[in-house]
Amino acid sequence: MDQAIPLLLNILTLTSILMLVGLGLAIIFGLMNVINMAHGEFVTIGAFTLSALQGIGGSYWLALLVAPLIGGAFGFLLERGIVRHLYARPLDTILATWGISLILQQVLQLLFGSGPQEVFTPIHGTISILGSSYPAYRLVLIAFAMTLLAITFLVFRKTRFGLDLRAVIQDRDMAEALGIDTRRIFAIAFAIGAALAAVAGVLIAPLTNVLAQMGANYLARSFFVVIVGGAGSIGGIAAGSAVVGGLETVLNYQVPVTVSQAIVLVAAVVLVRFRPRGLVPA
Amino acid sequence: MIESATTSGRPTSSADRAWLLIAAGLAAIPLLYPLWTDPYSLSVVRDALIFGLFALSLDFLWGKAGILSFGHAAFFGVGAYGTAIVAPMIGGDAAGLVGCLAGIAMAVGIAVVVGYFLIFGGVRGAYFTIVTLALSLVAQHIVIGWARVTGGDAGLIGTPPPGIGFGEWSFVLADPVSQHYLVLAISLAAVLAIWAACRGQYGRVLAAIRGNELRARTLGHNTGLHLLVVLMLSAGLAALAGGLYAMVSGFVAPDLIGLLLSTEVIVWVAIGGRGTLIGPFIGAFVVLRLQQEVSSFNPRLWPLLIGAFFVAMVFLFPNGLLPLFERAWERMRGVARKRALAP
Repeated sequence: MDQAIPLLLNILTLTSILMLVGLGLAIIFGLMNVINMAHGEFVTIGAFTLSALQGIGGSYWLALLVAPLIGGAFGFLLERGIVRHLYARPLDTILATWGISLILQQVLQLLFGSGPQEVFTPIHGTISILGSSYPAYRLVLIAFAMTLLAITFLVFRKTRFGLDLRAVIQDRDMAEALGIDTRRIFAIAFAIGAALAAVAGVLIAPLTNVLAQMGANYLARSFFVVIVGGAGSIGGIAAGSAVVGGLETVLNYQVPVTVSQAIVLVAAVVLVRFRPRGLVPA
Repeated sequence: MIESATTSGRPTSSADRAWLLIAAGLAAIPLLYPLWTDPYSLSVVRDALIFGLFALSLDFLWGKAGILSFGHAAFFGVGAYGTAIVAPMIGGDAAGLVGCLAGIAMAVGIAVVVGYFLIFGGVRGAYFTIVTLALSLVAQHIVIGWARVTGGDAGLIGTPPPGIGFGEWSFVLADPVSQHYLVLAISLAAVLAIWAACRGQYGRVLAAIRGNELRARTLGHNTGLHLLVVLMLSAGLAALAGGLYAMVSGFVAPDLIGLLLSTEVIVWVAIGGRGTLIGPFIGAFVVLRLQQEVSSFNPRLWPLLIGAFFVAMVFLFPNGLLPLFERAWERMRGVARKRALAP
C-alpha cells in the first residue's frame, strides 16, 4: 500500500505534464489538420525562460507567468509567419516546422551554451499522504496543471471563443459560412497551445535536465498521446495522457527508461491498427 | 490499360534514353575516380556513395510511393548495428556479410511489423511521418541506453570488412579501392533495378497510388499491400547501406541511427530531386561536401543551415531543386531556339 500512493502520484505527475503539452498539439491538429513539429520547442522555451529569470534573480512564480506569454508570442509568430501559408499542404508544414525546431534548438544553444541549464525548485520538503511521504513540489505541480486544464476545459465549453473553436474543429467550411473568422481562431488557438506547452516546460524543468534538445522527447510523447487518445477533444487527450503516462511510469519501475519508451511506441502503433481514430474519437 | 500496355512494351522512349545516358555519364565519374586519387579522398567518395544509396532507399519510398518517412535512419542504423553486433559472433571471412544479412533481415522485420499496423490501420500522410519519427527517436534511445550490446555513446569498433571464404580459399575486400567498387556496383544495381521496375506497369500503379490512393484502390489495386512491399524494400535497402557503412568504415556510432541523419537524408533527396533515383546520389555528394566545409568553420552552424533549408524548400522550391534547374534549362533552350529562328 505504501508503494501504491507514490506510484499513483508519479503517474499523475507525468500525465498532467503530457496533458498540457498534448493539448496544444491536439487542438492544432484537430483544428487545422497540421502537425507542428516545433511544438516540443515551446516546452524548451518555457524551461529556458525559468532558467534565465532565475539566473537574473527572478522568482519561479514570475517565470510561471512570463513563460506562457513568451511561448504564446512565439506560437503566434509561427502561425502568422509559417503555418498560415501551408494549411493545404500538411506534409510541407511538417518539414517547415521541423526546420524551425532545428533553428530554435541551435539558437538556444548558441545563446545559452550546450550544457544543462541551472534551475531551482521553489518548494522543498515532503508532504505525508496516508503514511507515505511525497515531494511537495510535485503535488503543487499536479494541482497547478489540473487547475489549468480545468480552466481550459471551461473556456472550451462555456465561452463564445470555445464554441467557435469547436465549430471550426467539426466543420471548417460550415463555420466559415456562419461568419466565424477561422483565421483568427487558428492564430489564437495556436498561441494558447504554445502557452500551455511553455507552462509545462516551467513545471517540468526542476525535475529534469534543461537542455536545448529536451523538446524532442515531449514532442514524441505528445504525439503518442494524440494518436492513442484521438485528436480534437479534451477527453481524448486526458485518456491518451493517462495511458501513455501510466504505462511509462509503471514500466519505469521494471525496465530501463529506453525500453519502456520503446514499449509505449509499440503499444501506440498496435492501438492505431484497431482504433485508428483514438480511444475517444472526436 | 491498352495505352499503358503499348507504352511499356516499347523498348525505350527518348526520356528513357536520356535518363540512361545521364546515369551512365554520372556512373563514369566514380568508376574512373580511383585512377587519379589518394586512398583518403577515395574513402570519402565511397562513404558518400553509401549515403547516396541510403538516400535512394528513401527516394523509392517518398518519390515513387509518396510516403515520407521521418525516421529512415532507424533502418540504416539497424543495418549498421546489426552488422557490427552479429559479425563478431560469427567469425571467419564472411562474418561481415552474414552480419549485414542479419541487419537487413532485422530492418525488413521491423518494416513489416510497423508497416502492417500502420498501413493497414489506414495511417497515411502526416500521421505516418510522425510515427516513423518516433521510431527513429526510440531506436536512438535504445542504442545509447543499451551500452552492454551497442557500446552506448562510444559505439562499436572492429566490424570486419566484406568478404567470403571457403576453407583455405578466401576473398576479403580490405582496401578502399575494392570497397569503393563494391559499393559502386551495388549502387548501380539498385538504381537500375528500381528504375527498370518503375518504368512499366508497376511504376504506373505506384504513381496512381501516389496521386490518389482511393482511386487506385477503386480500380482494383491492393494499395495497402503495394505500400507495405515498397516500405519493406526501402527498409531493406537502407539497412544494406547501413551494413556496407559498418563493414567498410569498421565502426558504428549513435549518430548513424539518430533523428539528424533521418532529417539529412530527406534534404539529400529533396535537393537531388524526388523520384529521380540518380538525384539522391548527387544530393548526398553535394550536401556532404558542403557539410564538411561548414563544419570545419563551425560545427554548430550545420543544423542551423539544415533548418533554414527546410523552411526555404517549402516556400521556394516545394518539388526540390531539380525542377528549378530543369526550368532554367528549358528557358535557355527556348532562348536559343528563338535566336536560331530569328532572321
